[in-house]
Amino acid sequence: MEPLSTEERRKAFASAKKPDIVRKQRLPVRYHVEDFDVTDRPRRFLQAFAAILKHTNYRVALDHYVRVSAKCARCSVKCQVYLATGDERDVPCHRSELLLSVYRRHFTVSGVLRARVLGDAGLTDDKIQEMAESFYNCTACRRCYFECPMGVDHGLITHLGRYILSEIGIVPRALAVSVREQLLGATGNTSAVPVPALIDTLEFLSEEIKDGIGVDVSFPVDRQGAEYLFLPAVSDFLMEAETLMGNATVFHATGDSWTIGTGYFDGINYGLFYSDQILEHVVKKIQVEAQRLGVRKILIGECGHASRSAKYFYPAFCGGKDALPVINIMEYTHQAWKEGRLKLKAGAIAERVTYHDPCNIARPGWIVEQPRELLKAICGDYVEMTPNRRDNICCGGGGGTVSIDEIQPYRTLVGGKAKADQIRATGAKYCVAPCANCKKQLRELVAEHGIDCQIVGLHDLLYKAIVFG
Amino acid sequence: MESWIEFGRGPLFRIAFSLMLLGLARIFALTVLGLVEAYGRSSDKIVNWREVRNQTIAWLFPMNRLWRKRPVYSTISFFFHLGLLLVPLFLAAHVLLWKRAAGFAWPALPQRLSNYLALVAIVAGLGLFSGRFLYPAARKLSRRQDLAWPLLLVLPFITGYVCSNLAIRPTTYDAMMLVHVYSANLIMLLIPFTKIAHCVLAPLSQIVTAMAWKFPAGAGDRVAATLGHADRPTWVKNSRMVQAAPADEVSAK
Repeated sequence: MEPLSTEERRKAFASAKKPDIVRKQRLPVRYHVEDFDVTDRPRRFLQAFAAILKHTNYRVALDHYVRVSAKCARCSVKCQVYLATGDERDVPCHRSELLLSVYRRHFTVSGVLRARVLGDAGLTDDKIQEMAESFYNCTACRRCYFECPMGVDHGLITHLGRYILSEIGIVPRALAVSVREQLLGATGNTSAVPVPALIDTLEFLSEEIKDGIGVDVSFPVDRQGAEYLFLPAVSDFLMEAETLMGNATVFHATGDSWTIGTGYFDGINYGLFYSDQILEHVVKKIQVEAQRLGVRKILIGECGHASRSAKYFYPAFCGGKDALPVINIMEYTHQAWKEGRLKLKAGAIAERVTYHDPCNIARPGWIVEQPRELLKAICGDYVEMTPNRRDNICCGGGGGTVSIDEIQPYRTLVGGKAKADQIRATGAKYCVAPCANCKKQLRELVAEHGIDCQIVGLHDLLYKAIVFG
Repeated sequence: MESWIEFGRGPLFRIAFSLMLLGLARIFALTVLGLVEAYGRSSDKIVNWREVRNQTIAWLFPMNRLWRKRPVYSTISFFFHLGLLLVPLFLAAHVLLWKRAAGFAWPALPQRLSNYLALVAIVAGLGLFSGRFLYPAARKLSRRQDLAWPLLLVLPFITGYVCSNLAIRPTTYDAMMLVHVYSANLIMLLIPFTKIAHCVLAPLSQIVTAMAWKFPAGAGDRVAATLGHADRPTWVKNSRMVQAAPADEVSAK
């Protein structure tokens, strides 16, 4: 990959923050942070770290990682951020070492003894600033995890580092504001969509489908006892009309019962990016709505992090093995098509199509082949990006960074540089990215890099290929 | 000097070897206990054992995946490990020492193969050391132990090779043997306390990571309560503007 030019580097790392804010918060990061207590930060960071270690399962991993981490730098070949910047501070193992060194120094016997002997003062405010910068330069895509012979999960470290920082008030304002609306606001969702607006949108979408393909497709709302409770990323209701139309049309074709709940209809969970507490509280909102409507399954829309946070954390927070099953809409559609309950027109999409794997669903090997099989069934010219599937490259907006508008130049020039090259190389007219975050990032990316490619969801294309009757 | 050598490969070896085994057993047991505790604490008992097993085996025998990236480094590293594992355990002279001391032994490698493997380990070790300076991503990452280990590890190989293959004066031989024996003992003593502990911990890596992602229910609220801001969670505006109450029950060492 071509290294960044000086001009690109300047643009990517330019900060729009006012110098007096930086001075006041003693935090030279590019993202905005709401005012917080800046006094005595190292002590409070360590207190938060200690409290988290006490109540969670991170300690076993940290103990293990500090013992085995060999600093071989293999991870460097997998990090799209390091490949773009060439800055050694962006090597995943270096990023993780920021936190591991704090753990070793303050929470292991050998570290404490060593510090006594050598007179090491311990965690400094400078290091906290470095972590605040570094952990939000990482997109938490976990691609490096699969290249680490020692099995160190740098994505886990990034998550933990951000969690500790959030407990002392350091969290991007964009994420904090959305979560506040979701957990405390009148609308209860991250995009602040009120229920009447949701209903209007759904009616509008039904009319659009009627106008488009001449079929009466409804969006069931608050249907008691439905099989599936549908939760897309709430931003889909504002920005992804065609994806939702595709989702509803699939259900119309299969005849299965599904519903959107007016009590809670947002799949987004920023807790996955920076706070276990938020992760749990948001997941429990799904549980409350599922119980209210008496549904049997949770169905998440086209969104990587929403799907992962529900699939892997709904059982953790809502009853373990007895928890309701969580599936993704692409799994559902694929299954229905396999069973012959959904008919698709071969060759419905003539233009060249490629597929971007969202990290959160592809990395665990969960949703990899299902969308590909569906696309191959309807596309005349389907091509793969390289690398792909579980080894995909992050869109550059992962880990919640896509929601932080003030770092957009960083995302498109650094985080997304490798992805832009990949998309360009396919020559595809459509890039299917079944994830709200990836879509937003990739649209900004193709615009910045002047790539003639339209970013769409999987169901946007399926919508054009469903055969009725 | 000879009595020093005898001490090194007699009592000192027994101490160093035992401490190495005990140290490794300790950290292995601690990790397993940590895993059991983590599993018990989480309500999510769903573990993708197949994935854990496949990834573990794939990294223990990385012949298929190692060369996909950084092929030169990977080749050097692979053969370094091969020499490091095989020569100390299966060198005919070592096997003989075991037989004499413990009364039992195992088949040895042919001398010629041991010699080649030792040479490979020496060259590879020096290669890994150089790689720390030549590969930009590794340069800044390297700690003192990362630079010291390849050199320390090749030391008994170089001296051992010289002693068993070159015609040298008896005094030089003794000096070499002294370095050989004492560096090997030092390595054994250091293993449990350094990154070389991965020799027993590596098989646990995948399950450790899988367990760390099992977040216990209610942990987030308990963290907030411990920090004294249960009533002002992080998503309340400016909650951190107010100085957190002193968290008496938690203090970093």
